[in-house]
Amino acid sequence: MEFQSVSFNSDEASNCVKECIESIIGGLDYNQNKVNQWTASIVEHSLTQLVKQGKPYKYIVNSAIMQKSGAGLHTANSCYWDTTTDGSCTVRWENRTMYCVVSVFAVAVGL
Amino acid sequence: DISALSGDAGVANISVDAAIGGSTYQHSRVNQWSSSVVENCLGQLTKLGKPFKYIVTCIIMQKNGAGLQTATSCFWDNTTDGSCTVRWENKSMYCIVSVFGLAI
Repeated sequence: MEFQSVSFNSDEASNCVKECIESIIGGLDYNQNKVNQWTASIVEHSLTQLVKQGKPYKYIVNSAIMQKSGAGLHTANSCYWDTTTDGSCTVRWENRTMYCVVSVFAVAVGL
Repeated sequence: DISALSGDAGVANISVDAAIGGSTYQHSRVNQWSSSVVENCLGQLTKLGKPFKYIVTCIIMQKNGAGLQTATSCFWDNTTDGSCTVRWENKSMYCIVSVFGLAI
């Protein structure tokens, strides 16, 4: 049997996440009462779509929603993994009242 | 052994204190601060020599009354993998560091 090595397709994951964000908060204004369920929905929905692709990966999906009020926000991440098989992508989205940053980390499952 | 990850919260706290403890939010420096925090943290974790892959994320936000909400969802092996999140603040900024450990 031929051994197929996998590598993370970050464009595909990026598009998947963008659609999830749009479907959940596209066109809405920042709302303190709802932001809790928005972030939870975004990560759960994105994770479900990624897992559906059926690839041999463990996933971590992280999302942050920040109200636009002039504050500065900076994010960084560092990973210790197998660079040939593992990967990540980050999607930055905004509308008039808020920023949304979603990161996906995919770690290959040992065969 | 995921119970070992409880020690990682200590590592994250120490890394944040070392990088930005006592500093005031400065737009021109926040880039290198967040990089220092994650690199420092990752360095300490890998030194522990455990059979894990690690992901460390850091958010630094200026305090000016804006709301910030974060969430994470993970698809992994519940018996071996785990995470911890540290929330740190001083007078001018918040810092949130998350460590994810995935068993090899």
